[in-house]
Amino acid sequence: MNAAAEAFLREAAATAANGELHQIVRKGVEHYDAAVERGRARFLDWEAARQRCRKIKREAIDRLDLYLEEFERRVNERGGHVFWAETAEDACRYVTDLAARAGVRTVVKSKSMVSEEIRLNAALETRGIKVWETDLGEFIVQLREEPPFHIVTPAMHLTRRQIAALFREKLGGVQTEDPQELTAVARRELRRAFFSAEMGVTGANFLVADSGAIAITTNEGNARLCSSLPRIHVAIAGIEKVIPRAEDLALLWPVLATAGTGQAITCYNTLVTGPRTASEPDGPEEFHVVLLDNGRSRLLADPEQREVLHCIRCGACLNACPVFRTIGGHAYGTIYSGPIGSVLTPHLRGLAEFQHLSFASSLCGACAVVCPVKIDLPRHLLQNRRNAIAAGLRPAQERTGFRLWRWAMENDRRFTMFGWAARFGWKMARRAGLAGTALDPARRWTKAREMPEIPRHSFRALWRKTHGAG
Amino acid sequence: MKEVALFIPCFVDQLLPEIGMDMARVLQRAGCAVNFFEEQTCCGQPAFNSGYWQDARPLAERFVRVFSRAEAVVCPSGSCTAMVRRFYPDLLAGTPAAEEAKRLAERVFEFSEFLVNVAGVTDIGASFPHRVTYHDACHTLRELGIREEPRRLLRGVRGLTLVEMANAEECCGFGGTFSTKFPMISAAMGETKAAGAERAGAEYVTSTDPSCLLQLDGILRRRKSQVRTIHLASILARTEADGTNSGNQE
Amino acid sequence: MAQVENPARERILARIRAATRSVPSSRTAPDARPIFAPVSGPLERFRAECAANATECIVVETASERGRALADLLGGIPEGEIFAQDSPKVRRALALSGTRQIRWSSEGAPSENSQAGVTLAEALVAQTGSVVVSTACGGRGASLVPPVHIVLADTSQLAPDLPAAMETIRRNGTLMACSSVCVITGPSRTADIEKILVLGAHGPRRLVVLISRESD
Repeated sequence: MNAAAEAFLREAAATAANGELHQIVRKGVEHYDAAVERGRARFLDWEAARQRCRKIKREAIDRLDLYLEEFERRVNERGGHVFWAETAEDACRYVTDLAARAGVRTVVKSKSMVSEEIRLNAALETRGIKVWETDLGEFIVQLREEPPFHIVTPAMHLTRRQIAALFREKLGGVQTEDPQELTAVARRELRRAFFSAEMGVTGANFLVADSGAIAITTNEGNARLCSSLPRIHVAIAGIEKVIPRAEDLALLWPVLATAGTGQAITCYNTLVTGPRTASEPDGPEEFHVVLLDNGRSRLLADPEQREVLHCIRCGACLNACPVFRTIGGHAYGTIYSGPIGSVLTPHLRGLAEFQHLSFASSLCGACAVVCPVKIDLPRHLLQNRRNAIAAGLRPAQERTGFRLWRWAMENDRRFTMFGWAARFGWKMARRAGLAGTALDPARRWTKAREMPEIPRHSFRALWRKTHGAG
Repeated sequence: MKEVALFIPCFVDQLLPEIGMDMARVLQRAGCAVNFFEEQTCCGQPAFNSGYWQDARPLAERFVRVFSRAEAVVCPSGSCTAMVRRFYPDLLAGTPAAEEAKRLAERVFEFSEFLVNVAGVTDIGASFPHRVTYHDACHTLRELGIREEPRRLLRGVRGLTLVEMANAEECCGFGGTFSTKFPMISAAMGETKAAGAERAGAEYVTSTDPSCLLQLDGILRRRKSQVRTIHLASILARTEADGTNSGNQE
Repeated sequence: MAQVENPARERILARIRAATRSVPSSRTAPDARPIFAPVSGPLERFRAECAANATECIVVETASERGRALADLLGGIPEGEIFAQDSPKVRRALALSGTRQIRWSSEGAPSENSQAGVTLAEALVAQTGSVVVSTACGGRGASLVPPVHIVLADTSQLAPDLPAAMETIRRNGTLMACSSVCVITGPSRTADIEKILVLGAHGPRRLVVLISRESD
């Protein structure tokens, strides 16, 4: 087992046993569930909305080259710069070089999972640049020096008491536990950063091909500040974020909001097409868009799983996932957690190191039901599993076990015999007092649960008794 | 009279035979002629779900062969039904068995959907004077789209009070080999579900999937809970003559 | 900044083309099934949505009444700079507000201490209770930096729904002329602490829309 898989097992087991964390996460998720139910009720036909969003994304993904080129051309026409980054390193280098050239000392950032993916903060900090996460949740986890717990709600795992203690320790003079006042503390702190930063970094929820615009969705307004006040605005987005037309946003915006938080529409849906124009009183002088590949074009080449690139990062599948609810976001040890993370990470960072995540699912399918662009996540988990076996990434013992099992199952007499032997063996083990010990053949089951009473007869034996042979 | 072939999942055959017997009794009472093809073994789901598609495939082909002569196939597990109906097309795509599998998929039914939608039965004359909560097994609900059928059957049972869990549609954490690959996650999920059944004030939790009940029974007994598990077929098999002493996994 | 030739661009595009070569292109057909119920009574719907998203919506008859409503509103706002979009309409409205210190968008960006931003809107959206602003509405900061954002609008600007609002923007060439457009729905908010809703996270704490039935 590799280090990532070992760490996952250790962390997941620890958080699975952390009742306090479950309660916090569950409270957040239940709040979300109720809001989403109200949000969906605002649609006449939610299913039609999902279908249409899927079609829009598909149209873009299937002709990604054309839409990206159109987007680039329009951004260039308006005086913006587009940089194509093949890898996380390329993207980081572009941004840090730009910052160094422009003498940037402070960067304000709005929440961007892609910037987490490329570890931009670390890259900027090693160049001596101060980075402020400005989304409240991100600001909190940045102070705690930990990654976001959830792609939409980064501080979902923390109570107001923990946040108050954190602010007291890191910011000083904070005497309150009231969320309103804590928010005001962060607002004051970050206002200074917004007005002093030379560079603002944002993500982009959508890249609009026909307008050369990036679309950013936030509730707090921090992305607007990041893209309005500093002299340079850099937006970083995966190449899969492109959509054909601005009019598509009329549906994508409400759907993203409903799936993400249950809101009818998010507070600020901002389009940026370039740097400030001569007649505008404010806005950045430079506008840069970094288009990140980092494994996405490889995923595009997989016809079975291409639709994973439809994801709009709403976080709905995390909230719906009983595994996420049980182990939380950090245990995954990846930037993208929950079902979409388990499906996507092996494509971005290698199947060998991250195949274990695709096995850590009960395949309950709750994620597929809530996905607003109808990505069949359980099926992709199954395909990742199959691919891991085809690539020889599973233990030889397991492989042999299934081969033997198949041999037994290919013949009903062998099946009957093995079944009888297994039941007999378990009964003997129990009689010998092995149940629950290290020698218990069923210990991975009995560690946390009781075994059923083992019946004397199989179904087929009972059937023969009552109905005679086949 | 409808001819019905029993699809008894391998683990039901070996560990929970009474569920199969109860299902056969109920089907007979519903007026079906019931057959059991002894050649059947496993539908291949454990290997399929674990990624061993090349080991699952011959079992799927075998299953299609064994049941090709059946008029209707009825299974006490929504998950195993879903394997045949929803996943065989993926697994057998491009093989000679694909066409036959597609035809078979239309004749394979989960037990409660067969009773309600095919046999047209919602009251089988059962009696079970207990407070019962229904666990929506994941594959029954989300792969087969069955939500109301089991509840309608339960409402038809004499003396039974159906109480709903707040988290009725949440996974119990079994997930096949997931339960032993990640026992801590699986068990914690089971605890959440079990707590939901307790909060609902149920005496019994029932479902259309014996594997979920295996998990919940293991969890509930470890918790020393008062709540017991019982398969839907076993509830429907109880009549007033049986008295009130029941529960297949006590 | 000079555009440096980047070989990565060609490599990425080549990979994309290779990956999608065999995929037939699809066009998203126009809406076959209605997704939202059509909006009837846009003004009533707009007011109801505003009530739900914490926007203060005041409807008056004439433009001059709107100016008086603005004066009343500014009367309740602390001393200090009012930032305003420099347009004849806004100037006329603010003429009724007496001696407030006003910084016009033609003079630059709002200062950190501005107490309110007064702007026009590109459109109002009834379906969601949203206000559409562009950089033509006093720049990017006007609707963002001050703690109160006041929008002067009239009922002719009401689009029934988002598709109609996007169409208005397209027709007016707003995205061509302006470097940024924003659909604003209620005051700034967060629920990052225990999912408890707090208004005024980074943007305005108050969003006030003053609508006159009569256009000016």
